[in-house]
Amino acid sequence: MLNYHYDWSVVLHSLPALLRGLLYSLEIAFVTLGCAFALGLVVALCRMSTFRPLSVAAYVYIQVFRALSLYVYILWVYFGLGIAFDINLSPLQAAIVSLTFLYSAYTAEIFRAAIGAVDVGQREAGTALGLGVVGIFVSIAFPQAIRIAIPALVNSLVDIVKDSAIVAIIGAGDLMYTTIQLSNYYVRSFEFYTVTAGIYLVVILLLTRIATTVERIFPVRAA
Amino acid sequence: MPIRLDYIFEWGPTLDQWRALLAGAGVDLLVGVLGFAFAAILGLFIASMRLSSSKLFRVPAGIYVQVMRGIPLYVFLLWIFFGLATVAGVRFTPFQAMVIALAFTGSAYTAEIFRGGIQSVAPGQREAAKSLGLNAISTFRDVVLPQALRIAVPPLGNTLIGLVKGATIMSVIGEPDMVFVASDINTTYFTPFEAFAAVALLLIVMILILSTVVTLIERLLRLP
Repeated sequence: MLNYHYDWSVVLHSLPALLRGLLYSLEIAFVTLGCAFALGLVVALCRMSTFRPLSVAAYVYIQVFRALSLYVYILWVYFGLGIAFDINLSPLQAAIVSLTFLYSAYTAEIFRAAIGAVDVGQREAGTALGLGVVGIFVSIAFPQAIRIAIPALVNSLVDIVKDSAIVAIIGAGDLMYTTIQLSNYYVRSFEFYTVTAGIYLVVILLLTRIATTVERIFPVRAA
Repeated sequence: MPIRLDYIFEWGPTLDQWRALLAGAGVDLLVGVLGFAFAAILGLFIASMRLSSSKLFRVPAGIYVQVMRGIPLYVFLLWIFFGLATVAGVRFTPFQAMVIALAFTGSAYTAEIFRGGIQSVAPGQREAAKSLGLNAISTFRDVVLPQALRIAVPPLGNTLIGLVKGATIMSVIGEPDMVFVASDINTTYFTPFEAFAAVALLLIVMILILSTVVTLIERLLRLP
């Protein structure tokens, strides 16, 4: 079948709807990154704790959430928790909650590596200056670790944006959901999926570009 | 939001279907591994293009990697399954479409892994091979590749795991994998918590076993 007549005009007319979907996707991604940042930091600190039960629990948490796929997990969160515990999340909430738990496992590993990469001498100098454990972490280890972590964190953001397409299956109004609806309505699957793939591609290339710029603004200072 | 705690769990319908669930998990694993195998072959090809001295190969390969890494798997899958079918008339089965989608998205990652692996082989190795009179093919096959593969194994294992996890979305186009079976159990008995928890558990176990296997392979390949 090579006499297919392309009709890109329907996609052009739908562009505002697609861009609204994109905004929704980005909202999910940025809120998720913020939540996964906080949760991941907590998990990383638990993982690095000298209190063994805490570090084992954090280890299990990381292993479990790194082994799950978003699709499997979001079905359980959205449909399963609602029935069993009456926790009825909206599609947006379910999307953010699922993505946050999954990606906090990745951000936790990023933070752990970054905190571990901070020179031991820095911490010793903090102790010598009379700073407590909290003081050393807040004013010495964390500011340096965050610089080391930035490239990996932005990579996570890129993964979150890409993975967030899956939230369409629970009916969240993101870019992918909008695309599926419109492509079914106009019966123009090739045109719609091509344009949506293009939109994702542009967004992800932009994010990667921003990542390189951020790395340049916050360089890891050589010791 | 009050959390209800009087729900009576019904694990029976899910546990009764353990055979179907395991068979479904097998489909996920098979598709993931097949997709990875093709991704590895394609990736090696792309990597050699990226390392070529000619811009004619290097630039398209670079663009390919950027593009394939920038498109979500779900979008790409539907583009192949629905989009290509309407335009080119190529009708893939859901199984084929999922393998193809994984192979192409995966190849962008494997290509970068192979490139990194090949580049990290010390140049002295290549020079030594040359001085021993090996030709270009033999130098690559007998000297560079064995060393590059060893470096590439851990990240390749991660890619394999990522692709098996990615394969779990295949039920959106109707391939009967374990999620499909769980959805079936859910629509029949209305037990989403139990059915999807079973699938989540299966996936976790499957991935943990896979990562153990990858670690074992790493240890086997380690040089004394």
